[in-house]
Amino acid sequence: MKFAKLIRRNLFRNKLRAIMTILLLAVIFFFVATLLAILDNFENFSNAGEGANRLVVQSAISLANLLPYAHEQKIRAIPGVVDTAKLQWIGAYYKEKSNFFANFAVDVDKFPTVFDDYKVSPQDLAAFQADRRGALVGTDLMKRFKWNVGDRITLKRQIFPFDPELTIRGTYFHPVQTTSVFFPMEYFQQSTGNQGQVGTFWVKVRDPKQMASISQQIDAMFKNSDYPTETFTEKEFQQNFMSMMGNIKLLFTAVSTCAILMVILLAAITMAMSARERVTEIAVLKAIGFEQRLVLAIMLTEFILLTAIGGAIGSYGAHFLFLAVDAGKMTQGFLQNLGVHARTLTICMAAAVGVGLIAGGYPALRASNMRVVDGLRRVV
Amino acid sequence: MDTLVDINNVRKVYKRDAFEVPVLNGVTLAVPRGDFLALMGPSGSGKTTLLNLMAGIDRPTAGSIFVDGKEISRFSETQLASWRSRHVGFIFQMYNLIPVLNAFENVELPLLLTKLSKKERREHVHAALGIVGLGDRSLHFPRQLSGGQEQRVAIARAIVTDPTLLVADEPTGDLDAKNAQETLDLLQRLNKDFAKTIVMVTHDPKAAQRAKRTLHLEKGLLVESVETAAIA
Repeated sequence: MKFAKLIRRNLFRNKLRAIMTILLLAVIFFFVATLLAILDNFENFSNAGEGANRLVVQSAISLANLLPYAHEQKIRAIPGVVDTAKLQWIGAYYKEKSNFFANFAVDVDKFPTVFDDYKVSPQDLAAFQADRRGALVGTDLMKRFKWNVGDRITLKRQIFPFDPELTIRGTYFHPVQTTSVFFPMEYFQQSTGNQGQVGTFWVKVRDPKQMASISQQIDAMFKNSDYPTETFTEKEFQQNFMSMMGNIKLLFTAVSTCAILMVILLAAITMAMSARERVTEIAVLKAIGFEQRLVLAIMLTEFILLTAIGGAIGSYGAHFLFLAVDAGKMTQGFLQNLGVHARTLTICMAAAVGVGLIAGGYPALRASNMRVVDGLRRVV
Repeated sequence: MDTLVDINNVRKVYKRDAFEVPVLNGVTLAVPRGDFLALMGPSGSGKTTLLNLMAGIDRPTAGSIFVDGKEISRFSETQLASWRSRHVGFIFQMYNLIPVLNAFENVELPLLLTKLSKKERREHVHAALGIVGLGDRSLHFPRQLSGGQEQRVAIARAIVTDPTLLVADEPTGDLDAKNAQETLDLLQRLNKDFAKTIVMVTHDPKAAQRAKRTLHLEKGLLVESVETAAIA
């Protein structure tokens, strides 16, 4: 492009101002990319069971209230239910509280049918099912702690009065849930003296079209019992779990929007100053034959480049940072596999271009529409 | 000698808030091709306005302006911009070079609007800088040049497209005597050797003496025309 040099030179004509503006944009877009990445992370967590045709049955009172094992037989008898498995969230950690990850007691014999989207080799599955203290561990968690199959690990109690002492018998692969530990329900029951109660039943349904009706049947079945239930799809269950932290999506979206609005205003001030101090130059360009549209295009390109550079540094900075650091460890296991993905990068870059367009649009339009004689007369 | 600029009964009124300020009150003027015309007069007499009108950067309130047979007073803004890029070279009092571009790039600016190749542009720029005697300063930025040199770069920028008309608004107004003489020498050479038609606004009688003729304006009217007897 013939005008690239003019645009580039004008972009950095006031180096300090350009660098400060780029830094400001970079910081804000780093922040926005991080917030969006966290939201993505939550969204992935909520979608972990997508396509698995699973319902989750919990106490209608709260997740902390347990349900009797007796419910399970009745649920399993409902037409359309393939199988059920008891699953108990343990909430233990490894060595230090910062090493926090999801760990569950599960019916090992039901694991392959109910959790069939968790890929396990036949050998690992057999070894897991054969060991009362065996553990099945997600691939990313194995990497994080450099564990190997056969390693013995002890988890520290937080909720239940026992420290699970486990031997890793195998690994599983799942596209989203890559950092969980499963161990036998039997071990949990014996260690805690559990009186036949569990937090959730996971129900595998044959036909996804039947999920709503089966869900209603389950809740209707126990409506008048001492232990009423509330049944969710897996996605709803995960979303409810996340919503215990409040409406994070709304909060994060609001904070991101405020940050972008703030940066639009700050960028607008910078761009207005930049356009104002170039009034005479713009008039000269127009005098020697630059058309209004060309001047507008040159100025807008310059402003958009400025915000795009800042946006790219911030969002790609976040991308590479989260590739390099273990966000799971930094957040005590709260955010596993945090990453700024292509979709977030695209959103951030589009927002950065938008900021340039909105913030620079008016100053550029005003400058390019200025009459040549007015611009030449102006003393800035 | 045929007429290059033909101004007929031009009026110009500026509107300043609720007030109307008449600047030109029916000026009629013909500038022959190859002329070197100086416009003189007190401040507010309308010299710069007249110059701007014939250069196509302002529009008359009434009357018509023909340049090289074309009625530019009827052109749209876009047509005027395109016309200026091909037919008018501007020389300003404050040089008005783009500070972020070096001498070469400043002179090249008007050529960016043409279809010339990079090689052709380079040849034109070097030729223009050669004419103004700054071939060895092409990589210098405006801040690295003296006022006289800056004005010569501005003249190179004005002539690089080989325009039909050169307009100069107080070209020596910001220069010391020596540089002013050199600039006027250059303008005279452009008129004499390259047959450029030049219209120059000036307050300086010595500068006006370098022109072929001088017109005086007062209160928006042409009041006097003086043929310069001896051209230096």
